[in-house]
Amino acid sequence: MSQYDAKAESKAGFNPFDTAVAQNPHAHFKRLRDEAPVSGSPPPFQNFVLSRYEDVRWALKHPELFSSSADAVPIGQDRPLIPLQIDPPEHAKYRRLLDPLFSPKALSVMEDDARKLVNEIIDRFVDDETVDFHAAFAVPVPCTLFLRLMGLPQDHLEQFLTWKDQILRADAGLDDPIENHKASAAIRRDTGKAIYEYFAAAIAARRQDPTDDMLTYLVNAEIEGRRLTDEEVLDVCFLFILAGLDTVTASLDCMMARLAGHAEERRALVEDPSLTVGAVEELLRHETPVTGILRVTTEPVVRHDVEMKEHAIVTCLLHAANMDEREFPDPETVDFRREPNRHIALGAGPHRCLGSHLARLELRVALEEFHRRIPDYALVPGVTLEYTAGIRQVSPLPLVIRPAGTVGGGN
Amino acid sequence: MGLRVSVDPDECVGHGRCYEIAPDVFRADDHGHSVVISAHVADALADVARQAAAACPEEAIAISER
Repeated sequence: MSQYDAKAESKAGFNPFDTAVAQNPHAHFKRLRDEAPVSGSPPPFQNFVLSRYEDVRWALKHPELFSSSADAVPIGQDRPLIPLQIDPPEHAKYRRLLDPLFSPKALSVMEDDARKLVNEIIDRFVDDETVDFHAAFAVPVPCTLFLRLMGLPQDHLEQFLTWKDQILRADAGLDDPIENHKASAAIRRDTGKAIYEYFAAAIAARRQDPTDDMLTYLVNAEIEGRRLTDEEVLDVCFLFILAGLDTVTASLDCMMARLAGHAEERRALVEDPSLTVGAVEELLRHETPVTGILRVTTEPVVRHDVEMKEHAIVTCLLHAANMDEREFPDPETVDFRREPNRHIALGAGPHRCLGSHLARLELRVALEEFHRRIPDYALVPGVTLEYTAGIRQVSPLPLVIRPAGTVGGGN
Repeated sequence: MGLRVSVDPDECVGHGRCYEIAPDVFRADDHGHSVVISAHVADALADVARQAAAACPEEAIAISER
């Protein structure tokens, strides 16, 4: 009953990571939830998509059925990414070690630093009439903070940005689907090698000369009475680059694109900055910068009368789940005071985003400072924004800006 | 009146929604997981405690009237 009419979407079956879907995801996702809560590409089904809130949450909370192992996402890594591609119970040992690094308490000491950094970045363009928010703000903020946290030199920023894009966006600019796949796999492999080599040297340096940065913490960290191996530290670092940089950039893009197009929401934040905490949660829900995450079934699983075979790749559509009217009344409405708002933009279950508290801190501080410094801004007239599929960046995101105190700045 | 609240440590994965919403009822431990500050919640905090419990994506918070 629930087989999705794939032809209606495309010959190859509904692809939630299609660029066209990314421009207008809400309508597509509603059809999926209503018509095919477990959708699959045409027989023989290998890939499935879950879109309802309850189903996505259920899958993420059952790692024994839906594994997060490296089979789900091969992206140039030699070994599983730690802790993302390690399943419970092994997973918990790594999380116990890593969670304290990213706890609200550990991160609170860096809030002032983050605020200062955000203001330095705003200083660079505040006097301009227009700015590409993506390139000038959304990219440098999380990447600069990451280098500071890890204790790596700021002048390696460009190198990190290149690596990150080569892994996550290796397909960009390649047209032929088959050549594309081969070429992007090769780019990912080479980039993966370069990242491993870079961090191998940095790890060796920390073993020699410990400091008080995150890399030193990892090098000295113990798991069950032994130190992490160099390989384990590498695998954690590799994940940090992939998970920590693009996602916050995309979140900033999505949030500011929304606010730039909705003046009443922007004004609400300017007039009452205490709304920013709620705004971050609500915009994470409504925009869900990470569209979906992948799992692999460990055995045949049936849901809504559809059987997902063993070793099937299952896309858990976080964005579709967060727009599900079965969970969120009036989901299209952005309400900074929405209650309850148990969105799963940062995942759910044991693999819930390790860096979520860092992400929230960065997003809150960024929105607070941007609106304090530049209360009036809008999209450059005539521009059509393009969202990338998957991790939803908006590049370029051209804004007309009028900083605080400008004569005639009004609203 | 008032409420009794508890967090199931096996279900909590540290979303942090509860201590963001009700910092006088819940706090983060060193791992970012939630612990209740006091199992007995005063009347004045009852509403915000209920809001926090409802915001938990893991449904890890139990609330009972006492």
